[in-house]
Amino acid sequence: MVHHVCMVSDFFFPNTGGVESHIYQLSQCLLQRGHKVVVITHAYGRRTGVRYLTNNLKVYYLPLLVAYNQCILPTLFATLPIVRYILLRERITIVHGHSAFSALAHEAMFHASTMGISTVFTDHSLFGFADASSIITNKILKFSLADVQHVICVSHTSKENTVLRAALSPHKVYVVPNAVDSTVFTPDPSQQRSDRVTVVVMSRLVYRKGIDLLAGIIPELCGRHPDVHFLIGGDGPKRILLEEVREQYQLHDRVQLLGSVSHEDVRDILVQGDIFLNTSLTEAFCIAIVEAESCGLQVVSTRIGGVPEVLPDELIYLAEPSVASLLVALETAVDDKRRGWTISPRERHERISTMYTWQDVARRTETVYDATAELPSSSLADRIYRYSHSGSGWLLFVLLLVLGNYLFWQLLEILVPRRNIELVPSQVAKSPRREPT
Amino acid sequence: MPWRKVLYEDQGYPDNYVDSSFLEQMQKNLNTRSYDYWNTVYESGAVTDHISATCLFVVTFVYLEAGVLSPKLLILLTVASCFLGYIAYAACAVHLGETVQKSHLWIVIRSAVVFLLFTFSLSPILYTLTESVSTDTIYAMTVFMFLGNILVFDYGTTAAIVSESMSFNLAMFGSMCLASRLTTVLHTFSIVSFAVEVFALWPELRRKVQATHRGCKMGVSCGSVLASVYALWTVSTVAAVLLGSVHFVVTFLCPRWLIQLQPYKNNIQGPWDEVNIVDKMEVRKML
Repeated sequence: MVHHVCMVSDFFFPNTGGVESHIYQLSQCLLQRGHKVVVITHAYGRRTGVRYLTNNLKVYYLPLLVAYNQCILPTLFATLPIVRYILLRERITIVHGHSAFSALAHEAMFHASTMGISTVFTDHSLFGFADASSIITNKILKFSLADVQHVICVSHTSKENTVLRAALSPHKVYVVPNAVDSTVFTPDPSQQRSDRVTVVVMSRLVYRKGIDLLAGIIPELCGRHPDVHFLIGGDGPKRILLEEVREQYQLHDRVQLLGSVSHEDVRDILVQGDIFLNTSLTEAFCIAIVEAESCGLQVVSTRIGGVPEVLPDELIYLAEPSVASLLVALETAVDDKRRGWTISPRERHERISTMYTWQDVARRTETVYDATAELPSSSLADRIYRYSHSGSGWLLFVLLLVLGNYLFWQLLEILVPRRNIELVPSQVAKSPRREPT
Repeated sequence: MPWRKVLYEDQGYPDNYVDSSFLEQMQKNLNTRSYDYWNTVYESGAVTDHISATCLFVVTFVYLEAGVLSPKLLILLTVASCFLGYIAYAACAVHLGETVQKSHLWIVIRSAVVFLLFTFSLSPILYTLTESVSTDTIYAMTVFMFLGNILVFDYGTTAAIVSESMSFNLAMFGSMCLASRLTTVLHTFSIVSFAVEVFALWPELRRKVQATHRGCKMGVSCGSVLASVYALWTVSTVAAVLLGSVHFVVTFLCPRWLIQLQPYKNNIQGPWDEVNIVDKMEVRKML
């Protein structure tokens, strides 16, 4: 079954990050599988209007006001005319929103529901329940996901989190992990130095990534092992802390701070190391450890969030989020390295390249789309019933929003009738659709 | 083969499979404490103590403004109680097994002298600082400052709202406002030094004394409640009754309320939460 999919998120190229590359890679693989895919995002600087990326992936950069952290100003109704126009023009059958932070994704899914188009949502991050910002985001998510057909999460822990946050039935939520492009993240043992053990860290230098732990680890490990060197890529407010540690313990020749690293250079830095260290305090999936593993490094990580699900025990050293426990794990890794008890970089790469592939992600996402397409389309009464039972609070207010959007849509159907909207001619796929392997 | 919570292999289950172990790692109300009513009543003394001290300060101002209390007498009382307070503080510290060094006394005397000199030389400025503001505004501002002070005062908890420097600054600003309503520079000097004693030194001493013995804590709390209600009684009966009921509510009703609200706690924790670094203090020590 061929789907006409519209990916929506505030986060897309030229911005870089996990969500951005996820949308890009997934779209590419879905195109290859013969589906029709367009992407909607907001305008980035002068990049506005329609652009085409590799394999004719069509991207709509909508001229919307960006309010905060690359998110558009949430207006709920104001985006309906343009989103409706695009959805009709492209004959979209499924709207797929990405990231709970993206206001554009929530609005587009809301409009799609109003128009009777199926919606799928992918949640990329974990949230707590205790602080004010999580409580507000969770309320919005409850409202937004009340009418979404299916939700995709990147790990089982993330699924548990989303089910609790949005009060969903767990059967509506699918787990499809992230993937890496293993043709990019290849090992290169010639880059490793035999006279030293290099520990690589690659993350934003912020509290959530456990940089305080790293600051405790560096002097201890350098003190115990004179041949251990640190190579730290990334930037952020905690960089000053690492610089202080380096200064205080006179480790300038052994701790290298690279500053922010662009995504295409990550692989070249990873292959210089022997051990990859992840000290995150919260993580839904942690693509960084998979990329490092794919480059043939030993991986040491904190046992948090979805991390324990990602790699089998023989490929990862897990530790509690404390300096003492991480030191034990790191020393075990260093020890194994010296004794040659490690799996070879080539074998690590081989195993990852069959474990997490974008083709597999696309195939599994397609299953979700198929399941979505089979569901009967819901009437306005059904939708109101679902919203009123979603527990997002203020029933009257919620009803006002749903009915308001419905009436606005009906008005647009009169003002800008469907028959006046020119349809995009359906492109014939150049390569025949690949069958699932 | 049973389902495992892993992503790295295809286990042959559909992607929306829900295992019986779903949400197994979720924990509810981990940090809930059960409170004992009388213990809570006893601990609420920390709040009543501070309210009492603030009221005593206001009454002192009223007396000073009315001319019942002379500024010289107030200065004398402040200095004398400072000395006695320091002796009591040292005695309590010794009783608690802390060592008190002679150099400490020297530091305290030196900073006291510096402080008094500074306040005395700045009093003419403080005295005219808010003179042009109308009295109504000043009183309203003072009330808000003191309420803010009571709100953010450090009662010994680690809530985000607690800020010792903020509460002290609010109190000092409130007393500056009041000071500008007095008639001479000496009046201003006396009330400002008294304010420092009430809002900076007294809480320190009080905590020390109360740490020594359970009876001491009760004694200090009861004493300050009675003293504040009586002092207010001599100024205004209505205010005294109001203060008495505030003390009653804080001491007896608020603990009951706190305990009654406990069953409504619904706090969930799980592997998705941001973890706390276990040995955070050790990390700090290393730096």
